[in-house]
Amino acid sequence: MITAGADVGSKTVKVVILKDGKIAGKGIAIAGLEAEGAWENAWADALKEAGISRNDINKTVATGARLKEVKGFDEEMSMVTADAMAMHKLNPEIKTVLDVGAEEGRAIKVDKDGKVSDFAVNEKCAAGAGAFMEAMSRAMQVSIEQFGEEALKSTANLPINAQCAVFAESEVVSLVHEETPRPDICKAVCDGVSDRLASMARRVVVEPKVAFVGGAAKGMGLRRSLKEALELTEVYFPDDIEFVAAYGCALKAAE
Amino acid sequence: MGIYKTEPLKCWGKAKELRLGVYEGIKKARDNGTMIVAGGTESAIALPAGFDMDFLGGEPYGASCAFAGIQDPSWNRGLMEASEAASYPRDMCAYMRIGIGSLLSDKFVFGGKYPVPTFNLQTHICDTHGKWYQIMSDIEGVPYNCVDYVPYEWETENESEESKRLKRVYMKDQMLDVIDWMEKVSGKKFDDEKFINAVNWECESTSLWAQCCMVNQAIPAVMDEKMMYSLYIIAVLMRQQKAAVEFYKVLLDELKDRAARGIAAFENEKFRMIHDSQPPWHNLQIFRYLEQFGAVSIGAHYSFSLSGGWAYDKEQDKYLPAKAPKEAGVTLKTREEACDWYSEWLLAYQTLLRSLRYSGRGKHKRIQDIIDNWKIDGMMIHLNRGCEGTAVGQMELRRYLADRGIPALTYEGNLADVREFDLERTIDKIDTFMETVGLTKIAK
Amino acid sequence: MIEDFKKIYENRHNYMKAWKAKNPDWKVLGYMCSYMPEEILYAAKVLPIRWLGGHEPQNVTEPHIMGMFCPFCRDVLAQGLLGKYDYCDAIGITHTCKHINQAYESMILHRGVDHFFIPTPSKMQDKQALPYYAGILKIFKEQLENWTGKKITEDDLKRGIAIVDENRRLMRQVYETRKADNPPISGLDSMYMVTASQMYDKQEVNKIIADVIKNELPGRKAKNDPGIRLMILGSEDDDTAFINMVENCGSSLVIDDHCTGSRYFWNTTEPGNDLMSVIADRYLKRPPCPIKDMPNRTRIPHIQGLAKEWNVAGAIVIQQKFCDPHELDKVAIVNGLKAVDVPTLYLEFDVTVPIGPFRIRVEAFLETLGSEDLF
Repeated sequence: MITAGADVGSKTVKVVILKDGKIAGKGIAIAGLEAEGAWENAWADALKEAGISRNDINKTVATGARLKEVKGFDEEMSMVTADAMAMHKLNPEIKTVLDVGAEEGRAIKVDKDGKVSDFAVNEKCAAGAGAFMEAMSRAMQVSIEQFGEEALKSTANLPINAQCAVFAESEVVSLVHEETPRPDICKAVCDGVSDRLASMARRVVVEPKVAFVGGAAKGMGLRRSLKEALELTEVYFPDDIEFVAAYGCALKAAE
Repeated sequence: MGIYKTEPLKCWGKAKELRLGVYEGIKKARDNGTMIVAGGTESAIALPAGFDMDFLGGEPYGASCAFAGIQDPSWNRGLMEASEAASYPRDMCAYMRIGIGSLLSDKFVFGGKYPVPTFNLQTHICDTHGKWYQIMSDIEGVPYNCVDYVPYEWETENESEESKRLKRVYMKDQMLDVIDWMEKVSGKKFDDEKFINAVNWECESTSLWAQCCMVNQAIPAVMDEKMMYSLYIIAVLMRQQKAAVEFYKVLLDELKDRAARGIAAFENEKFRMIHDSQPPWHNLQIFRYLEQFGAVSIGAHYSFSLSGGWAYDKEQDKYLPAKAPKEAGVTLKTREEACDWYSEWLLAYQTLLRSLRYSGRGKHKRIQDIIDNWKIDGMMIHLNRGCEGTAVGQMELRRYLADRGIPALTYEGNLADVREFDLERTIDKIDTFMETVGLTKIAK
Repeated sequence: MIEDFKKIYENRHNYMKAWKAKNPDWKVLGYMCSYMPEEILYAAKVLPIRWLGGHEPQNVTEPHIMGMFCPFCRDVLAQGLLGKYDYCDAIGITHTCKHINQAYESMILHRGVDHFFIPTPSKMQDKQALPYYAGILKIFKEQLENWTGKKITEDDLKRGIAIVDENRRLMRQVYETRKADNPPISGLDSMYMVTASQMYDKQEVNKIIADVIKNELPGRKAKNDPGIRLMILGSEDDDTAFINMVENCGSSLVIDDHCTGSRYFWNTTEPGNDLMSVIADRYLKRPPCPIKDMPNRTRIPHIQGLAKEWNVAGAIVIQQKFCDPHELDKVAIVNGLKAVDVPTLYLEFDVTVPIGPFRIRVEAFLETLGSEDLF
């Protein structure tokens, strides 16, 4: 049986193809103002890797903030359940999943059967963790990858406290004006974002084992800060971290 | 075809007529120059009833504007912006900001100019209330007074009788002083008989509304929460009037009849929910959206208790409708007796007002009481940025429910400020929540 | 020494831990709002100390407090949840605002501490408030007696009143010296003095203040050039980084209306026979938090009076973000100051403030105050 899962996120579209329970192909494409083009591109890459055509797919389940912009799937599901299903399959010991997307963060509590027992989504004031990181990396004139590497060079603890990204940005500007070393600013941003994410995660009571997923969790600086903020000794980072929700959808389609 | 039979409420039309009648009365008083008193409705509204007057209550007025804003944004965004243009901060009580905006714009959502009252009288039921009408009076230039309100604590706190006595005397003595003050600023004589009647009717109608809510323990529920908004409003606006008592007697009979015949508010009731805090008045369709999953909100601590009188019964460890003076075998004869009884009623039985002050342990007990006795499957908590009185304790309530395995959904919004509500995100959250409790959309 | 105030402020927990070790017969009660009737606590040998925030990021309060409650209540709750005040034997609050109520309730729910709630009146101007509050304070006194197992005598109460009143008188004396053209103590050090009085044993702090008044202030100048004289007022404020920045921009803060400043200590008790009424009366008559200033507005004439007597050229009005009580007075206060020709700069504070952008605003404000009118 061949199934597919897709995650139409606010920044990227991800497609995963499963063949008899195993990943046969993946595709990811950046969605600009129109998600449709990225949807087609991500599909094309995934199908190419799997060596099949769209007609070979038995069922497609999709999720994501911009799902309404695309057509061509059989069923939809929520990001929360998709993450939970995927992580439970990848590592059944995971009890808490923290998904850090571009525009939204989610904390999910997974029970022993892989069902969602509680979840929290960030409220308006704490929105846009991933997007904020990107904006800050542009302000610091480094790529998002370099931003994380810069942060890792620092051990300073500079407070960026504001809950609201707009106010946090003005705190970053303050640090720039004070000629604070770049690694310290990068770490301060990672710490600030992590504090907001950790705050949200604590709403569901964080229980080990914990997994971080989502595009923004790729950043090494944020990973370190988040781990520290939640006082965790061990965190599980799945491979293909940004494909987790799409994988969950593909699993659902195979049920 | 649904699981249950349903039919429209017979007294729907009467509720609508009574509600509009209140605002028609205010307009007439404005145009004729007769006495208008303004303040919060969740206050001692029987107090100015010793005069012939029309009462303009700020909270239901704010809700009406928020609702009218769906058709014409000038009643929602427009009034908010008028308040902000005058430098009033945008995160204060949203009802208050609508009131300020309406006054500054000099327009009344029910038609014509804003009705400036003879004086403002407020009860300080939450930390904003007493200041709200101070601001209104600043702008209007009319006299202002307020009655301080320190409710009894929840039963969980074992408050001493002496503490309760002090609170009761404090409130009663303030009421007596306020009566003298009202006579002074209005130049009119206060009629004790009218006041005593108003106290009796207020207690009776709020007790009757609590009895109506009790009927909703039936499966299927005879009222959904959206219906309740149109029904409890009579107690909110005019509970101190005889017409309200009569309305609730008719409603109670009708609800009992519905329960006996198994008539549902929602034909596909599968998952019974309660809501916390006021709803986003500008987006009530979220309640209809729940129904697509077979879920229905059948009440709230807010809807049950806003204008409901509830007494804690120690033996049964339950909250039951409080007994109005007549039912309790009490005849109020004097102004003093009426103020004393009225104080007790507000301090002991207005449990919503109590939760605006004291969150946490006591409120959790009341919510658990509703969950158990109204057979509730899940809860929907509106993190209400427009009313911090009802928002106090909400995050702890969420924790309380999660710890007990009671499914709870939080969504952020604002009861009256549409700019702080994101319908799409809320729908997404509802979808996710329904998926996690195993509900799917009912095929049409 | 003036520096001692700062030392106490910055090392509050160490000071208190050492104090507790030295005073095993005392208990410690932490409170959050400045209406706490400290006289009764001193009488009961319970040291009242005010919890203030840590002014650093934290991630522990979101599960307990809604996002739009004020940063002060979040910061204070964080300190409690993180165990910074674990040396306190109990917490207590007087009713002021729901944000503080929330922090208090969450502490009880999650740290299981002993607790005291005093149902304080809000309409403090009302003549009925006195008998009510005196009665409530009597209940509080009895609760403390049950808790400590010791009776509080009239003499104990008189001793408690004397300690707290002495602290008030001394701080008022220091504030009087700030009327001088070149004040002997800065706004920052004054803030350290008041907050040190709140967070440490007043008997110790009183000795320091008395010594400062006698030996240090005479002939002292806080700065060579005091610059523009400013007032600061609004919500709880112990943002020392901000105060320091303002006073380094060519200005001196010479007077305030904060609960971490003058509102806390302005009036002493007045003599009377019933000591519970004496204590209650003092709190009813103190310069109020806006939430308790109704139905009449007494804050405006009081603040106008301070501006005049301390001869300020402008006022910085701050509020903790989302602080409803101060937001509710915003328009009235700004207009009230405008009416007596005191221009205002309005700022919102968070747990930490962005010093850079705020400096730009403060400098611009000072420029407008310093410049001559063009026409």
